[in-house]
Amino acid sequence: MLGGGLIMGAEDRLLPPSVPFRFFATAILMHVAGWAMLLVGADTLPGFQGGLGPGLAALHLMTLGVLSTTVLGAAFQLLPVATRRQLGPVWACRLTWWLYTPGVVLLCLGMAMQTSWAMHAGGCLVVAGLAVFAVLVARNLLQVSDLPAVTGHVWVALAALLGLAVLGLLLVADVDAGFLSRRGPFAAAHAVLAGYGFMGSLAMGFSYVLVPMFVLSQGVPDAVGRQTARLLALALVVAAGGAVAGSGVVAALGGVIGLIGIGVHLRAILAAMETRMRKRLEPFFRLVRLAWVLLPVSVVAGLAVALGDAPELTAPLWGWLLVFGWLLTFVSGILQRIIPFLVSMHSGAHGGMPVLMSRLVAQPPLTVHAVLHGVALALGAAGLLSGSALLVRAAAVSGLAGALAFAVFATLVFIRARAHSSKSR
Amino acid sequence: MLTQSQTGTLLHQDHMATIETLQKLEEFLGRQRSAPALDAKLREFLQGLAKTLRDEVESHFGFEENHLFPVFTQQGQTGIVMMLTMEHRAILPLAVQVADLAAGAVQAGGFDQQAWRDFRDSGAELVEREIFHVQKEEMGLLAAISALVDPETDSRLAETYRRTVK
Repeated sequence: MLGGGLIMGAEDRLLPPSVPFRFFATAILMHVAGWAMLLVGADTLPGFQGGLGPGLAALHLMTLGVLSTTVLGAAFQLLPVATRRQLGPVWACRLTWWLYTPGVVLLCLGMAMQTSWAMHAGGCLVVAGLAVFAVLVARNLLQVSDLPAVTGHVWVALAALLGLAVLGLLLVADVDAGFLSRRGPFAAAHAVLAGYGFMGSLAMGFSYVLVPMFVLSQGVPDAVGRQTARLLALALVVAAGGAVAGSGVVAALGGVIGLIGIGVHLRAILAAMETRMRKRLEPFFRLVRLAWVLLPVSVVAGLAVALGDAPELTAPLWGWLLVFGWLLTFVSGILQRIIPFLVSMHSGAHGGMPVLMSRLVAQPPLTVHAVLHGVALALGAAGLLSGSALLVRAAAVSGLAGALAFAVFATLVFIRARAHSSKSR
Repeated sequence: MLTQSQTGTLLHQDHMATIETLQKLEEFLGRQRSAPALDAKLREFLQGLAKTLRDEVESHFGFEENHLFPVFTQQGQTGIVMMLTMEHRAILPLAVQVADLAAGAVQAGGFDQQAWRDFRDSGAELVEREIFHVQKEEMGLLAAISALVDPETDSRLAETYRRTVK
């Protein structure tokens, strides 16, 4: 049964708010930094197929800084309540942040300024932080026999994390040593494992819990969750293996298997939406629904890359659709819902009346963010397809303004929560 | 929500009825900019609303607190019991207030300005608090009944539910 126990025992297992919220606050700041860095590197993005500089730094500020950081905070909070098992000591969760966050900053600065020592030190810190996270999560999962759909996806994500970390460290080390004859295939496999493996599998697994809860619907059957986890695992092995081996056809086959898995996943999620008791969808669903569309579209763009169709156009477009399109859209949609949700839960955790979410959320900044994010996606895609640095720059400006609006929303949530807490005392 | 227990199924059916009522209230409040005139349709809606809120919310909460939560407390699951009980304490007076205002409007032949403002504000707060509460119960409580309540206790609880709530 999916989502069983998400709330049961939740109060007993709610982490101190400082743990998840330090990750979420970091993600929100990195979101601004990522778009700003993209603006700096906008001229290099049309035709981008790799190489150090602000473009690569912007990509990693988004993937490591925003997407993974959000997932770490969410996983630390959601897994123990979903599995009804303790995750591990709180100090270890904090240690993850202390290793990981400076690591991301150093790594991205190193990439932007093409400084080897910063990339090496940052890369090692990032991997160390992720290793602590992986140990904590694996220990938790080993105690769980139910929730196969969620745990299956988390295991796939951990396996992908191992692969992407090894490939990432190889790529960083190769910058100085130059032992890889061709960096492209390794970078492609790294991107597949990071985007669809680590981030993608966690997004799919947690969706099986979160979406039915938000819309009050039937859960997704365990059998479907197991099936999507297996299909995704197979797709990742084939696609990443094909990429490393330099076989575009095999990599494309992995993409096709991935598309089948995504189809099964989306059909199950849409079936859950059909049975929902809550007819009015909350505004964050506009981003989540856009992300559901962009997920398979990104895989189709990946197929074009694998089959070698105009890589100077398809490679940057694939990266754009995967990271900024599907993942960033999905994560910013979910983040704008779980921040007030958790703040409200914590506000009632000690017996007081929980603050209403509607009193925490300022909708106008979120509407501004949604519009500007959508504009940024469209301009970016158009710029990469037409080779126009001007359009990419405009996309970065729009994305940056949207990220600032998102930061305003988050700041207002915390200010309002603090005001409620002072009033309740 | 997927649930295999009799008690969970009964609570789920009750949640569906409550959500349907709350959504009607939410739509009604969203349509009105000022106090509406009382016609036959509105009278019927307000009477139904008052009855649902009094009967279903009070008896539903009563069943959970008096019969279901003790089963969880015995198993050491005190956190959820305290959290949901505290929410009941916040929601029940609101539900009674909205029911009273609805019944009062029917009796008085409509809302005056103050009664309308009170009805609109307390109604909107009730919708939000109750839906948040049902979200937690649907995803946590119902699954936990399946996981933690044995079949014999489940049958006994379902029988008690049918006797006291329906």
